[in-house]
Amino acid sequence: MPTQIGIILGIMVLAYALAKARRLTVEISMFLAALVGGLAGIIFRTPPAGELIRHLVEGSATYLDVILVFSTATIFMAIVNESGGVNYVVRATIRAFHNKRLAALIVLMIIVLIPGALTGAGSISLLVVGAPVAMALKLLGISPKRAAAILFIIAGLSAAAPPVNIWAMILCAGTAIPYVGFELPLAVPVLICGVFTMLVLGWRKERSIDLATALQEMPKVPARMTWWRVLLPFLVFFGSVAAYRLFPFQTPILGLPLQFTMSALVAWLVSPHKIKILSLSRDTVKRLLPLISTVVIVGMLQQIMTATGVRGLLSYAVISIPLVFLLVSLAIIIPVSEGVLTYGAAAVLGIPLIWYLDSIGFHATVAIAGLTLLWPLGDGLPPTALIGRLSVMVSEYKGSYWEFLRTTWLPWLFITIVGILMVVYSAKLSFLVRWSM
Amino acid sequence: MKRPGLVKAVLIVLFLIFLIQGGLRLYRHRHFDVPVVTGPGVTRVAHLSDFGPGLKGTMADTLVYFLDGTEPGGKAILMSNTHANEPEGLLAALLMLENAVVEKGSLIIIPQFNNSAGRNTRPGDGYPLYFEIPTDWGLKTFRMGNRDASPLDQWPDPDVYIHYPDRQLLSYIDARNVNRTWPGRPGGPLMEKVTFAAMEIMRREKVDVAVDIHGAETMFPVTNCIVAPEKSNRIATMASLTVKAKEGFDSHVEPSPAGFRGLSHREIGDFSDTLPFLLEAPIPFLDQPTGPKTVKFLLDGKDPFLLSLAQKKKLFVAYDASGWPLEKRVGQHCSVTLEIIRQYSKKNPDRSILVRDIPRYAEIVQNGVGHYFHDPSRAERDRIYPN
Amino acid sequence: MPIIMIFYYLITAYLVVLLAWNFVREKKKTEDMALYLLVLIPLVLRILRLK
Repeated sequence: MPTQIGIILGIMVLAYALAKARRLTVEISMFLAALVGGLAGIIFRTPPAGELIRHLVEGSATYLDVILVFSTATIFMAIVNESGGVNYVVRATIRAFHNKRLAALIVLMIIVLIPGALTGAGSISLLVVGAPVAMALKLLGISPKRAAAILFIIAGLSAAAPPVNIWAMILCAGTAIPYVGFELPLAVPVLICGVFTMLVLGWRKERSIDLATALQEMPKVPARMTWWRVLLPFLVFFGSVAAYRLFPFQTPILGLPLQFTMSALVAWLVSPHKIKILSLSRDTVKRLLPLISTVVIVGMLQQIMTATGVRGLLSYAVISIPLVFLLVSLAIIIPVSEGVLTYGAAAVLGIPLIWYLDSIGFHATVAIAGLTLLWPLGDGLPPTALIGRLSVMVSEYKGSYWEFLRTTWLPWLFITIVGILMVVYSAKLSFLVRWSM
Repeated sequence: MKRPGLVKAVLIVLFLIFLIQGGLRLYRHRHFDVPVVTGPGVTRVAHLSDFGPGLKGTMADTLVYFLDGTEPGGKAILMSNTHANEPEGLLAALLMLENAVVEKGSLIIIPQFNNSAGRNTRPGDGYPLYFEIPTDWGLKTFRMGNRDASPLDQWPDPDVYIHYPDRQLLSYIDARNVNRTWPGRPGGPLMEKVTFAAMEIMRREKVDVAVDIHGAETMFPVTNCIVAPEKSNRIATMASLTVKAKEGFDSHVEPSPAGFRGLSHREIGDFSDTLPFLLEAPIPFLDQPTGPKTVKFLLDGKDPFLLSLAQKKKLFVAYDASGWPLEKRVGQHCSVTLEIIRQYSKKNPDRSILVRDIPRYAEIVQNGVGHYFHDPSRAERDRIYPN
Repeated sequence: MPIIMIFYYLITAYLVVLLAWNFVREKKKTEDMALYLLVLIPLVLRILRLK
């Protein structure tokens, strides 16, 4: 059986490589890998021939809600941007903090951390506050490439930050470990890594810019724009998120897509000028196509990999690595798995890994916290590179993707070391869990 | 592009093929009924919605079978398909439903506890849609379900699920997992309504013992066991020791963690007088590092990767080339359930429950699970119910 | 059907319209045409209450 699965895996990799060689997009290449992998599987009746299309169709629905969140959040921010709200906020931030660099960097970091920490998705941070923060960073004299790098790392950390960490939640749901005691094991490393990133990537001014020039460089804000017009849609969003947290049994479950839709409608209604919502939505969906199609295709790929046994083979390979080598190779395995499978990686590799580490005396909660620092890094890696591509999109960096990714090397390394040390010394760090409860 | 219209037409045809071929299979799966032939012990059949508001007319409503004895005594409730991708629980419950006769007390069986999950598939996990069991009269087909209810029945998920009433934060997925929504509430999301209705049965009928039947991965530390809170611990321990001594299989006792909320073995005990037990039998099919997820693997539990991991001592159960076949899993569940009821009856003679005609471990391993299912085509129509 | 679930079907339908509209207007990129249809699969399945 391992040979049969190995052949299918080889065929899938070959299909992807050939598609890329023929200059097809990442998304189409991934789809072809899934399709060809499924066809190869039919030879061994894994899956049976009649089931292939059903598997692809069923797999496409794996991340349906993620598509809705991405789409509604991006349409919401597109409306805020179109109304002039984004420029209004950035102007105010720059005016307040232009000569207090450290404070400006810390404030901007916290602004990016909050939406992701509340929702568990770094993409939400980027979609909601990414564009204005990118603009503010540029006005602090930081190049678009470094701004994109900062956004990528901080958005990743925001997804790992408490109270909501989806990787940890998936792992807890799959391993029957309660999702409690994660506050300090997550908050402490996230803040340390966040400040380190802001200082490494943001401290140096790449160009000198005075306040007057900075403000002049920015697009004009509509005359009728006011604070309440900007804040009201965000209040609706954060208010509805907070309401469920504070009064969970009195508040109906709205879900993120509806919360973003409500906020979008409010932003549209309070905009100082008329916004053509239909054409704006259509353009936004066009811009989002690479991302949302990636999410659909990853679901298909995941389904085919499981039906053919490829997913199990990869999971087996990881679990079989000797312990010391396994701990070191987490630096590669975890981000790469995220790059291929996104959240699916937490289930495929994370669940058996945590059971194994738990059984040999590691502290599961701290080990999960450590691993969840590494997963967001993989969101910058192809083939999916969801957060990496979003960071580039919102910061309007036009250069090479690899150049952008290379800029993140020092924070990337720092976060990797912190994450692995947390896993290795999880038993010694268990006081963080006790202090959280 | 030379002829965009033609390209589009081809793409649309492919799109429709995918949609119709894939979509219809998923639709048929959701609406496929497994005929259940109720045995001589079944005295009445109710709906879960009779005990909880808001379930009537929804896919979460499900049948509740009562097997009342001629003599008054205690009451036990069995629930299976809490997680509908752990089919050994369902098969054990249906086997009891089709064969058991209660002489004293009552047995209440809810075989399809999460009906929505039993009619849902698991995207991304490549399961087969159905599996077949050989019986004495041919093959009997069952749906393979999902751990969680279908979003067609409960949508949207929250960004994080906050457990009622403890406020513990759980994964957003757990809002559709009925083994995280205990004890439930009448006005909550659909899955909380399901657990609330079950709590109402236990409170109104004064149920003594609740058994929630599951399957768990071989790499999961809490597998091949009886999970019990403090109040059920003595009976669980006696049941575990007895099946080991008399029937020769392991099913150790795991304490129900007090800090992990929403689970049946925790909340039923805390919110009613009923003693809860959750049974786990190893199901290799659910493990991550395995070969393809085929029907054969689901039934025989044989996998080369797990065998290799067992040799490296990375599994929590004994595992050899014989795998972990369905007969063993279902047999364990039947024997452990019977033993829990027997031990409870011994301790509480005034509330004792006497059940007969349920096969035990050795018989099921020898005869196969299908041997105990009755042919719907030869049964009286009023004894057949859809599951 | 609960009112909030109805809103979700409306949001999904709105996205289906936007994607279909973009598919119709796309004249050059075959790959984008295919991607629009791939994204439509799960959304249409949900609207038809198939998955």
